[in-house]
Amino acid sequence: MLNALVIDPKDNVANLIGPGEQGSEVNCRIEGSDRPTAVTLADTIPPNHKFAFTAISAGEPIIKYGLVIGKASTDIAQGAHVHVHNIESNRGRGDLG
Amino acid sequence: MTDHFFGYPRPDGQVGIRNHVLLLSGTLYANSTCERVAHTVQNTIPIVHPLGRCQIAPDLAQTFRTLVGHGRHANAGAVIVIDHFKEQGCTADEIAHEVAQSGKPVEVVNIRRDQGAIEATAKATRLAIDFNRRINTQQRERFPLSKLIYGVNCGTSDVTSGLAHNRCVGWVADRIIEADGRVLAAETTEMFGGEELIKQRAASPEVADKILGFIKRMDERILACGVDLRGSQPTGDNIEGGLSTLEEKALGAMKKWGSKPIVGAVEYAEPIGTTPGLWVMDTPGHGGESITGIAAAGAQVMSFSTGGGHTINHPLMITMRLTGNRESWHAMQDTMETDVSDIFDGTPLDDAAGRLFDEIVAICNGRMTKAEALREWNAFAINRCGPSV
Repeated sequence: MLNALVIDPKDNVANLIGPGEQGSEVNCRIEGSDRPTAVTLADTIPPNHKFAFTAISAGEPIIKYGLVIGKASTDIAQGAHVHVHNIESNRGRGDLG
Repeated sequence: MTDHFFGYPRPDGQVGIRNHVLLLSGTLYANSTCERVAHTVQNTIPIVHPLGRCQIAPDLAQTFRTLVGHGRHANAGAVIVIDHFKEQGCTADEIAHEVAQSGKPVEVVNIRRDQGAIEATAKATRLAIDFNRRINTQQRERFPLSKLIYGVNCGTSDVTSGLAHNRCVGWVADRIIEADGRVLAAETTEMFGGEELIKQRAASPEVADKILGFIKRMDERILACGVDLRGSQPTGDNIEGGLSTLEEKALGAMKKWGSKPIVGAVEYAEPIGTTPGLWVMDTPGHGGESITGIAAAGAQVMSFSTGGGHTINHPLMITMRLTGNRESWHAMQDTMETDVSDIFDGTPLDDAAGRLFDEIVAICNGRMTKAEALREWNAFAINRCGPSV
């Protein structure tokens, strides 16, 4: 059984523990709650990477630790890999601006 | 949960968790003399470094402040300061003068004045023996946790950092603050991307501005070298490990800070105030320099949380190492004290963090860390703020 951690109830991403194949079911534990939620992986996820706990629309903030860590650059389906290819940092970059 | 520890009361009110004779080198040319004495006499800790000469004034002042901070450190029961010849602005006499204000026994050895490296070694050896005989009948006494300054730091982070070990450290930080103790965090480099959290947590706008000022200053200093820190962070191995943005990395690192307000901010190696709570110091992410700055401010004990496992160990501030990465725990057993990887198996945070808390109290009460027992004195490094001249 695959497991994932959701650190804060406000989070919309979960951290997979270990790697996971597309189509696998993951037991997502929300910190502070006894009831895990099952999510099916929409992508193959590398070890310990994030996936969408709920579906996220383009432009919506990505929430981890109950705080904004960036925004979605495209629509992200529930269970999809969330990483540098679909998150934009809100912290400007000196070499780009 | 314990509310006390047993330590050595010092004349200035601080409480040490060790009772060492410190051999403090004022300048690199006195380093070997310090080391010779440390190899010869029991219960001595050498602090050596490549500085103390040919530094511009602000840089030399920072070196001086760091060395004085270590001389005043509560884990040193007595201090021998050793320097070479005619230093300026950072002489053993000047360091000893400041350290003497703390009320502990201090002596100076100057290699030139004392007629050479071998004579200086002999003099310092006799002083170290004498100091040991003066201080090592002192007994530990019982003190509340409010007497602790708990240093926190992290290195070789990976995605388990913000999920496991850093959260355990933050939990312990909160308990210490609730007991009216102080926690000292640092690593300005790791705050890039965490500015919103800093503004939320600062006890006053002045404290927030001071810390944001540290971040801006570091950013500008690095840009002046033609490099953009933000363009190179998160790093390749962070990204491979699953960290996607600077904010995510910073927030994971700042989990070490717990949840209490930030009551003050200090410059590198500057002493902190007496207000209980979370304090923040401007240091680089460089482990050795960062923990040395924290030690100079008087933290008796530190937990160093690491994704990759670590050997980092300060010679005087007792350093313990923990990880939530099970592979790293197994690979680096030789110098790691606490494993919290069972968080990923479902162990509640309170339980894992409680184990960390118990280990830290035990270490304060005298339990040697593995690196302490191994004499892994690898992490005394003074931050520079100017070039050598």
